[in-house]
Amino acid sequence: MILFQQFLANGVVVGSSYVLVALGLTLIFGILKIVNFAHGEFYMLGGYVAVVGTQVLGIGPLPSIVLVIVVMVMLGWFIERAIFVPIAKKDPTNVIIASFGLSILLQNIVLKIAGPEPMLARSGLPRGAIQIGNIFLTSERLAIVALAAVTVTALLVVLKYTWIGLSLRAMSENATVARICGINVRRVGVVTFAIGAALAGLAGALMATVFTVQPNAGSLIVMKAFVIVVLAGMGSIEGAIIAGLALGIVESLVTGYLGNGLRDIVGFIFVMGVLTIRPQGLFGIQTDRS
Amino acid sequence: MAIWVKAAAAAGLSVMISSVAISAAFAEQLKLGVSLPLSGPASLAGTSIREGIEFAVKQANQKGGVFDQDVKVFIEDDEGNPTKGVTAVRKLIEQDHVVGISGTYVSAVAAAESKVAKEYKVPMISAGSTSSAVTDANTAGDPWFFRAFPGSRAQAKQTASDTLKKLNAKTVAVLYENSIYGKSLADEFKSNYEGIGGKVVAMEAYNPGDKDFYSSLTNVRAQSPSAVYIAGLMDSGAQIIKQAGELGVQTQIVGSGSMMSDKLIELAGPASEGFAVSSMFEPSTPNKHGAEFAKEFRAAYKKEPDVYSAIGFDSMGLLIEAARRAGKPDGAAMQKQLLNMPDFPLSQGPDRTTAKFDDKGSVEFKVGLAIVKNGKREWLPFD
Repeated sequence: MILFQQFLANGVVVGSSYVLVALGLTLIFGILKIVNFAHGEFYMLGGYVAVVGTQVLGIGPLPSIVLVIVVMVMLGWFIERAIFVPIAKKDPTNVIIASFGLSILLQNIVLKIAGPEPMLARSGLPRGAIQIGNIFLTSERLAIVALAAVTVTALLVVLKYTWIGLSLRAMSENATVARICGINVRRVGVVTFAIGAALAGLAGALMATVFTVQPNAGSLIVMKAFVIVVLAGMGSIEGAIIAGLALGIVESLVTGYLGNGLRDIVGFIFVMGVLTIRPQGLFGIQTDRS
Repeated sequence: MAIWVKAAAAAGLSVMISSVAISAAFAEQLKLGVSLPLSGPASLAGTSIREGIEFAVKQANQKGGVFDQDVKVFIEDDEGNPTKGVTAVRKLIEQDHVVGISGTYVSAVAAAESKVAKEYKVPMISAGSTSSAVTDANTAGDPWFFRAFPGSRAQAKQTASDTLKKLNAKTVAVLYENSIYGKSLADEFKSNYEGIGGKVVAMEAYNPGDKDFYSSLTNVRAQSPSAVYIAGLMDSGAQIIKQAGELGVQTQIVGSGSMMSDKLIELAGPASEGFAVSSMFEPSTPNKHGAEFAKEFRAAYKKEPDVYSAIGFDSMGLLIEAARRAGKPDGAAMQKQLLNMPDFPLSQGPDRTTAKFDDKGSVEFKVGLAIVKNGKREWLPFD
């Protein structure tokens, strides 16, 4: 039981970062229907911007987070406008290939500039373990969970009370009807893409304080984010939160009880099972074409 | 018609010229290849090995090169990927016409590449790949893949005995990278350690590049072994050491050779205090040839060499010397020379270590143990 508590805590920490990455992807992939394999590179770039902020500029952790969000919003804006929109005009499936290319391009640019060494973003939080009952955690890990909770709450508020949120929810239910009702799809698209990039970057920045960041840091997490989005059901925000946390916890329990080698497999097994039984995902809404 | 005549005349002329002068000038240039992971997860080691290789080439060329010409080196990035590695070696041999290859670092890639090199009769010298499986695959007496330092079997044996006798740890949990490098070390460590009376309480694999070890280490903590042995690369090693500290795992941690890096101490922070690692080279080496290399490297690069640069330096130095002794840039002649170089000094290992390859292409010398004290590795004397 003591072990179980620790496994659970580990899972919640890792799951929190999954939630942030997957939320960005569920907006981009689930709602805008853009298959963006470079989403993992947004995560990686967020980590590097945090390293630049805390190590090179020395501006402290909170201003660095602001820097990460600003940079990633700008980058997301630019990429959507300069790459994805023009390519999608000809054939939307080309976007998938373009995002693969972008992913390789970004990894190699970073490799050229920053080199292959893992880098650590400084959180400025006190080092060492914090013991809560039988659970050992560090202040950085607790901060990841706290910041993820704050971000998710903020996102939910935005989705509920702003025009962009309303438009997004409309689009997630039925894109065609939303368009007929006069929603400016292009404007919603670019804002959503920028928010998605910022969420991934934020996750990368937070994780870079604990797990360091390397040019290839985003390649596995993007696959897990796709798993979460598909598990949750395309475009389901609440579903992505639950599925993200659940995947983190399940992975942690599998590692603890069955061995580390199986960890990266479980998510994919789940996704196959869920797609067979419930093709719209666990929390997806099935909309019929009329 | 006129063009044909001109072409024929030109061809005839070029044959004449080449047979007289140019053959000495062009055909005999020594061309060597390098395959290393210069991007991807293993690139940290790869870039450091490349510096050692380039330093060996620079030194040889400053001394007048080989066959009165500069040695030419072609470097390919194999990304730590067996498929890319095979492509790289094929390109080096078929297009660049190299007669010897230094490479590579990742054992699985070296295993794949060595098959191609053997087919073309081009000798390869490991640039860091440790798994004994690669030299074991050689035909005894006719090896085409050489390793100028002890393989995983010898390293694991030494570490097992050091862990039990020098560090006095009677029970060990083993965490290993799920690759031929990590697995061969872990298996050989286990059989050796249990053979001399120790007890392995857990064997846990992790995927290359894994960063989160809280759950594995939680299990380790529950078993409270007196030591943890990590067989894997530096980036995961640093995370294990750091997270073990955070989780309050109070035990001696021992790492495999690839964790012998200053970067590990920086990334793991204070938790790396007391960390023990198998070590074949330190800048403070008692090996006189190695100390001289360290001095010259420091002067040239304005930084300390590490085990990677020493491996690269030895690997490339051997190829150049083998060609010089063979008297011609020919892979088969170089392979024969390599088997007969017990006088060639290596920068790794104890003093007076030489390239005395056995019939499987491996060199045996005593692997040392270094312990981190006050943020610096201290080399325990060879006993």
